Amino acid sequence: MIYLSMTLSKILRYIFLAVFNALIVYAFPLTLAYESWFFLSLIIVIGLLVNFVYFTEKFQPMKWILPGMIFMLSFVVFPAVYNTFVSFTNWSTGHILTKTQAISVLEDRVYTPENQKGIEFDIYILQDIDLSFYYVAYLNDQNILFGKAVSDDEIFSSSLATHEPSLFNNGEFVTPDGFTLLTGKEQIANSSSLQELSLVIDKNTRAQLYKISVFGASTGRLSSTSQLYKYDDVNDTLINNATNTVCPVVKDNFECEGKEIEPGWRVFVGGENYRKLFSSQRIRGPLNVVAKWTFQFALLSVLLSFAVGLFLSMILNKNGLRFQRIYRAIFILPYAIPAFVSALVWKGLLNPDYGLINSWLGPIYELVDAEPIKWLTTKESARTAVLLVNTWLGFPYMFLITTGALQSIPRELIEAAKVDGASGLQSFWRITFPLLMVSISPLLIGSFAFNFNNFTLIFLLSGGGPPIVGSDVSVGWTDILISFTYKLAISGGRGNLFGLASSVTIIIFALVLIISAISFRYTKRLERVYGNI
Amino acid sequence: MVTFKFLNWAKEYGWRHLIALVFATFAIYPILFVATNSVADFANLTNSKLIPDGFTFKHYKLLSSDPLVPYFKWLYNTYKVAIIAGFFNVFLGTLAAYAFSRLQFKGRRASLLTLVIVQMFPSFLAFVAIYLLFFQISDVAPFMGLGTHIGLILVYLGGSIGFNSWLIKGFMDTISPSLDEAAKVDGATDFQIFMRIIAPLSRPILVVIFVITFIGIYSDFILAAIFLKDKNLWTVAVGINTVFVDDFNADWGVIAASSVIAATPIAVLFIFFQKQITGGLTAGSVKG
Repeated sequence: MIYLSMTLSKILRYIFLAVFNALIVYAFPLTLAYESWFFLSLIIVIGLLVNFVYFTEKFQPMKWILPGMIFMLSFVVFPAVYNTFVSFTNWSTGHILTKTQAISVLEDRVYTPENQKGIEFDIYILQDIDLSFYYVAYLNDQNILFGKAVSDDEIFSSSLATHEPSLFNNGEFVTPDGFTLLTGKEQIANSSSLQELSLVIDKNTRAQLYKISVFGASTGRLSSTSQLYKYDDVNDTLINNATNTVCPVVKDNFECEGKEIEPGWRVFVGGENYRKLFSSQRIRGPLNVVAKWTFQFALLSVLLSFAVGLFLSMILNKNGLRFQRIYRAIFILPYAIPAFVSALVWKGLLNPDYGLINSWLGPIYELVDAEPIKWLTTKESARTAVLLVNTWLGFPYMFLITTGALQSIPRELIEAAKVDGASGLQSFWRITFPLLMVSISPLLIGSFAFNFNNFTLIFLLSGGGPPIVGSDVSVGWTDILISFTYKLAISGGRGNLFGLASSVTIIIFALVLIISAISFRYTKRLERVYGNI
Repeated sequence: MVTFKFLNWAKEYGWRHLIALVFATFAIYPILFVATNSVADFANLTNSKLIPDGFTFKHYKLLSSDPLVPYFKWLYNTYKVAIIAGFFNVFLGTLAAYAFSRLQFKGRRASLLTLVIVQMFPSFLAFVAIYLLFFQISDVAPFMGLGTHIGLILVYLGGSIGFNSWLIKGFMDTISPSLDEAAKVDGATDFQIFMRIIAPLSRPILVVIFVITFIGIYSDFILAAIFLKDKNLWTVAVGINTVFVDDFNADWGVIAASSVIAATPIAVLFIFFQKQITGGLTAGSVKG
């Protein structure tokens, strides 16, 4: 039995290693092909580490920890580091590529020179499975080309027109078998399909029918394309072949005659993103609003839901009260629903025209002769709504934890206070509440940190809106830092400002760090954690 | 006498019932409203009520028949991603927890502390970097790049392994060491002790951790939203958002039905595991 189980562990280990090494072997040439040196080095390091740990008998504990650690390092720790790196770059729409990639995109661009030569065509038809047209193009006396005329879709798969000596007799084209010359009238009858076709002469040149002649050879023109940009790696400039200008590098773009050429590439910009955040008036203004609201939102959310939760648990904390279990079950319900569903449902209930809330408030509006509130469309109504809904979402948790904490406070303490003549309020504020806070405050800080980044609620309920008019970036009055970042990076409608967004994330990181430090400092949680190790 | 008794009851209990009822209404009304509306026969939101006039499954049928809204495909995707990621999360977390709980090695305390500190930062904070990272992985290995479920699962795996192994380790510490010491005397290897003793005894916490992770992934919006671009690969959280932006008034029934389907399994799981989940939350935070 022991022998069996030892084999099992070995089998498992070898299967894991086989799969793992297969993946490494698969990825290795790919990273080379894409020249992504970063991934290449990552793969080498992880590959060596894994094989070293599992093939040697040293580092026993690592065998257990390494699999989880790899995921944590790759998808939590590394992104955090990478995020810092991105925040020092100009990475954004128009500057997504590396310089090498941008140059290769630019060098693929073509243009059509103005002066194009006229040429003469004879058109033959081949009676094959379906009709196909063949052109004989008289470029000049020596250069007469023959080939199948193709549509634009087929251009890259078709063979080039050729000069085949066997088809010529004293310079005259001899009709090959199966082909018939199209008369002028037939050409006119087929003109609509002929106009779609062209004869491919070389990679950059093709000939197209231009004018059909009833009497002799039709005429066409050569349309040739040439490479628009050529990179000069000695001077690090781009040469525009069409205008014959030299385009120098200006920061992260080539610039031709004062105009930036898209795409640019990503470069390090040092602290420019951070400077923008703090000094560019049209970004600093909204950022201030957002940062302030993030704190207000998180703080008020915690306070409101804590107040409601504590109030309810005090109400229910009474011996002999009937239906306690039913009340408790109901109070927990909002917490059991996934937040993304609740947020969206509340958005529906708050709809100013059809929603339940306004139809409830209808009589009150009439009574005080007020316009119905346009929920979520004005700054104040949106902020109120967000807080209201978050209270609904959050009070069950507070109810649960305060109920637990209240029950653990010794009854004798309160009895003793009563004997000493303390009123109910006095004994609450002097005894119950301080004792409660000892066990609850770390959870409140945790809840604050959670709401600080409560993206799901904000994004799905108000979308951060209503928009703040006159800012340079897409941002709204209920946006918190994380949803602001999301808009900058992903969905702002002003391109993807990855660099700038990352710098905002770094600020959030710093704030979360401070919040956690406070939490550790005041709750001695770290010591508890450490003691638990 | 009866009046006095009533007054006394009102002073002791009555007002408590009154307040509790008000808040119970606040808590449950929106939920009931959506639940009844999902099976109610009505035309639109304006004329819907809490207690419907007629009963129908038409909204559910509509939800399953609209080719532009592959709702059940989204549901399937969500379960697939959450179950796979949840399983590996618990599996890898358990392995690490075993080492932290049972093996003595240099740097054990330091790595445990690192785990706790790293997990203070929600993993989605670095979503810009995650997005760009997988954008580049798409070039090298398209099967796990941006827009794929495999990529998303990998991100979810990294996101909570640290926290989970911390919780599992805490539970394993409560299993008496005399059990595995006895086994060691009998010549059992670490792997055997893990497979035969520690893992089976840890089953209760493993179930709870799986449920917590499952709920967390099921409810995630931000990572799924930046990862999945193809409509057929969306999870419910991403997809349902687009159902809701349709004509609210006219589509209210379908919206209610989709909410009920999305919320019910999680609500049931949550209520079933409520004690353990809140206990886990006390140690850290997974769900709001």
